[in-house]
Amino acid sequence: MRRIAYLLLAVISLLGVTYDAASAEPRPRYGGTLRVMLQTSPSMLDLPSNATPAEYWDLARTLSLIGDTLVRIDAQGRPRPGLAVAWQSDANASHWQFILRQGVKFHDGGAASAPAVAQILSALQSGWIVRASGDTIAIETAAPMPSLPAELALPRNLLLKRNAQGLPIGTGPFLISGWQPQQLLKLAANEESWEGRPFVDAVEIEFGKALRDQAIALELGKTDVIEEAPQAASFSPTHGTSLSVSLPTELLALDFPANSRANDPRVREAVALAVDRRPIQSVLLKGAGEPAASILPNWMTGYSAVFSERANPQEAHSLLANSRQAATNIPFNLSYDPRDPQAQLIAERIALNAREVGVAVQVSLSGVEDIRLLRVVLPSPDPATSLSEAARQLGLRQPTFSDNVEDLYQAERGALVTHAVIPLFHLPVATAIGTRVREWVPDRRAQWSAWGPSLADVWLADQRMADQRSAVLHFDLHAQAALQ
Amino acid sequence: MNKPSPDARYNQRIPHMRARTSSGRWLGRFSSFLLVTIVLAPSLFASPFADAAHQLARKIVAASGPGAFALDFANRSSLDEKSVREVRSALEAQLHVEGVHVTKAEQATGTIEVVLSESLRDYVWTAVIAIGSDEKKVALVSIPRPSASAAFAPVMPMVLKTTLLFEQEGPMLDVAVVEMPGGSRLIILGSDAVSIYRHEGAGPSGNSAVRWEQETSLPIIHARAFPRDLRGRLLLRRDHLFDVYLPGVFCRSTPNAVVPLTLACSETDDPWPLTADDSVRAFYASTRNFFTGALSPGIGKISNVPSFYSAAAFQRASYALWVFAAVDGSLHLVDGVTDQAIRGANLKWGGDLAAIHSNCGIGTQLLVSESDDIAHDRLRAFEIPDRDPTAVSAAAEFDGQIVSFRPDGSGTSAAAIVRRKDTGWYEAYRVSVTCGN
Repeated sequence: MRRIAYLLLAVISLLGVTYDAASAEPRPRYGGTLRVMLQTSPSMLDLPSNATPAEYWDLARTLSLIGDTLVRIDAQGRPRPGLAVAWQSDANASHWQFILRQGVKFHDGGAASAPAVAQILSALQSGWIVRASGDTIAIETAAPMPSLPAELALPRNLLLKRNAQGLPIGTGPFLISGWQPQQLLKLAANEESWEGRPFVDAVEIEFGKALRDQAIALELGKTDVIEEAPQAASFSPTHGTSLSVSLPTELLALDFPANSRANDPRVREAVALAVDRRPIQSVLLKGAGEPAASILPNWMTGYSAVFSERANPQEAHSLLANSRQAATNIPFNLSYDPRDPQAQLIAERIALNAREVGVAVQVSLSGVEDIRLLRVVLPSPDPATSLSEAARQLGLRQPTFSDNVEDLYQAERGALVTHAVIPLFHLPVATAIGTRVREWVPDRRAQWSAWGPSLADVWLADQRMADQRSAVLHFDLHAQAALQ
Repeated sequence: MNKPSPDARYNQRIPHMRARTSSGRWLGRFSSFLLVTIVLAPSLFASPFADAAHQLARKIVAASGPGAFALDFANRSSLDEKSVREVRSALEAQLHVEGVHVTKAEQATGTIEVVLSESLRDYVWTAVIAIGSDEKKVALVSIPRPSASAAFAPVMPMVLKTTLLFEQEGPMLDVAVVEMPGGSRLIILGSDAVSIYRHEGAGPSGNSAVRWEQETSLPIIHARAFPRDLRGRLLLRRDHLFDVYLPGVFCRSTPNAVVPLTLACSETDDPWPLTADDSVRAFYASTRNFFTGALSPGIGKISNVPSFYSAAAFQRASYALWVFAAVDGSLHLVDGVTDQAIRGANLKWGGDLAAIHSNCGIGTQLLVSESDDIAHDRLRAFEIPDRDPTAVSAAAEFDGQIVSFRPDGSGTSAAAIVRRKDTGWYEAYRVSVTCGN
C-alpha cells in the first residue's frame, strides 16, 4: 500500500515537473542578484604573477566580469574578437596591428580609445612596444609571437584602469558597486555594456569560503554558483543543482627546484618511472583527471600518448645502479601545498613509490625543498601559450617554437628532458550551479567569461518556481528511493 | 622533428632478406606497387586521410629505415571504425612501399606504436619507433579536424511540416524567401549584417537542405549596444526589398530599381509592425527582449497590454482576435474591447506565436512554441474556435531552442529559427500545416 502511495506521488510530482518545465520562462528574465562563493580571500582585486591555482581561478573569473581583453579564445581554441574587432601581423609575427571596437566606454565614462588601451597594455607588458594610431593598436615584440592573440586573451591582459582606491575599472558587463577586502565584492550590471546589459542586476561574490561551506550553502539555497573539488565530479549533484567539470586545465607535477639536492637527472628519472599514477588517480583523486607524463594535456596537443606515464620500476632500478647520488641514500624532502586537501596523501604515496625503487624520499614541510608537489594552471587552450605559461610557473627556460605540432612536441620534450619537472596528472576544475540559474553553459576551459556564453548571460528563474521544482525533484528522489 | 636527414641511420638488414636476389627485391617492390595501385587504390584515394597516412609512413621510415617491424595500432580519437580501417590500410600500404614490412613481434627488429589521437583543433597521429635499446623516436602528423557541423534535423511528424532552409554557425534572427529575377533569394537577418543568398538547387541528398550561394552581405551599422538576447524582424516590402527592425535600430534597403542594393540604418525607438499588413505596431524595449505592451495604433479601444514576447492575429467575421504571449507566462486574448488573460496549469505555451492560414480545420491555426529545460523546443498547432485554444496537431520537436518564429509574407507558412543544442549552429525552417491527420 505504501509503495503504491509513493508511486502515485512520484507520478504526480513528475507531472508537476513536466508542467513547470513546459510552462515557465520561455525567454531570459531580467533582474535579480546572482550569488557566488569563492574559496580564496584576496585583499586586492589584482591577479598576481605568483598566484596559486585557486587564487588564479578566483581572480581571473572575477576580473573577467569587470574587464575585457583585446582578443578572446573560443571553444575550439581559435582567437575571436574582444575589444579588438580585427588584427593582422607581418610574416615574422613580431609586428601586430589590432583595430579597436568603436564606441566602447570604461565604467567611469572614459572612452576605450587606442591611446587609453595602449597605455594599459604598455604597463602590463613592459617587454612590448605598444603604439596607438587612430583606432589601431600596434604591438611590436622582440621575438616572433605567432600566439600573440592567445596571449592577449589571458586574464593577465585584461584591460583595466584603476581608480584612486586601486579598484579596477573596465569595459566589461559588470562594474564594482562595493568592495570589502577578503570578504565581499558587489557588482552591478553595466547598462552601457557593448555586449548588451547582463540579465542579472547584480552579482555578489563572497570570498574566503571553504569548499565544504560552499557546498552546504548551495544545498541550502544560500548561493547560486560555487567551486567544487575535481573529485566531486564522481558524485551525482544533489537535487536541482548541476555540476560542470572542465577539460583538464591544471597540471599536478613534481618539481625539483634549482637548489634541490636531487641533482642527478638519473635519480629524477628514476622517481618519474617509480610513480604509479593509476592507483593514485582511482583512489586519491576518485577518478578525476588523467595520469600524465606530459606538461600539456592531450586535448591541447593530441600527442600525449608518446609520453609514457606507465610505472617501470625495473628501469628505475637500472638507472639508479649507475647513479652515485642514489648510493648515498640521503632522504630527499618532498613538500606539498598544505591548503590542498589531497596533496599530502598524494605526496606520501609518491614517497612510498620512490622508496620502493631505492630513492629515499620523505614528506616534509620543513627543511630544504628537494622536491615540490605543485599545481600549475594551464590557462589557455592554445598549447603554445599554455606551455610558455607552465614554463614560467615552473621556472623552466621559455620555449621557442613556431605554430607547428612538431615544434611544439620538441619544445615540450626539451622542457622535460632533464626531468626537473615530472608531470603526474592533468586535473579539471569543477563548478556547481544552483536551481534558479538558467542558461548556464559550462565552459570546457573552466572560465566564467569568455567567447560565447558567460556568467553575464545567465539569468535567474523566479525563486518560487525554482523552489517548487527543487522540492518536487527532491521528493522524487525520496519516492524513487522508497520504491527501490 | 624526425624529418628525413642526410645522415639518417638505418638498422641492419634482416638476415632472411639477405638471401633474396635483386630480381626478388624488384618483384617485391613491384607487387607492393600493384597492391597499392590496384587493390587498395579505390579506398585510399577516396579517403581524406590517405595523404596524412602516407606522410606519417614516410616519417616513420625516415626514423626507422627499411626492415621488419611489429605494428601496434590504436585509435584514441573520434574517428569512426571505417575511417580508422582506411587510415591503417593506407599506412601499412605506404610502409610496404617504403620498405617497412609489418610482421609479428618475435620476427621483428623493432616496434612501431601508432596512436590516432586528436586535440581540440586537429587530428594528431603519433608513431613511436623502438629499435632494440636505441632511444625511441617519434613521428607526428596533424590534420585539421572539421568544424562541428549541424546534422539535418529529424524528420518531423504528420501535421506540422518542417523544411530546413538554411543553417549557419553565426546567429540568425529572422529569415525570408523572396522570388526575384534569376531565381529565389534567401534573406538572412544576422546580428551584424543582412545576407542574401541565391538558390542553387537541391542539396546532394534528398534529406539535405537546399543549397544557397551568397550574393551579398549588407552590414548593419549601429552605435547603440544590442541586448544579449537579441531579437529582430525582417519584413519584405513592395517598393523596396525589405525593412529590418532591431532593438533601437531600423534599417531599410534601397528601392528596387537602385543597384547595387544597400542598407541604410538609423537609431530609433519607433514601434515594430506586429503583422505583415502593418495594421498594429508595438514598441520594443531597446535594452530588453520583449515588447513594452504599448500599441500604436491600438486594437480597438485597447492601446496597452502587458509586456509581451510575441503576438498573432486571428481574422474573424467582423473583428480580429489578437493573442499575446505575455512576459509573465500568461496568454492574453484581445478583441478590441476586452483583454482576457488565461493563466493556469493547462497553459503550456512558450514565448513565440504565429497565425497561419491553411486549407485545414477552420482555416487559421495558431502555431505556438513550447519550451523546456532540456532545450528541445517544440511547435504545436492550436485553433481558437471560440475563446479556448484547442490543440489540433502533435508537437513537432526541434533539437534546440526556437529563437525566432513568425509567419512569412504569404501568411500560409511560418519561419522558425532554431539554435541547436549539440553544435550551437542556427537553422532556419519553414513550417506549414498539412491536412489529413
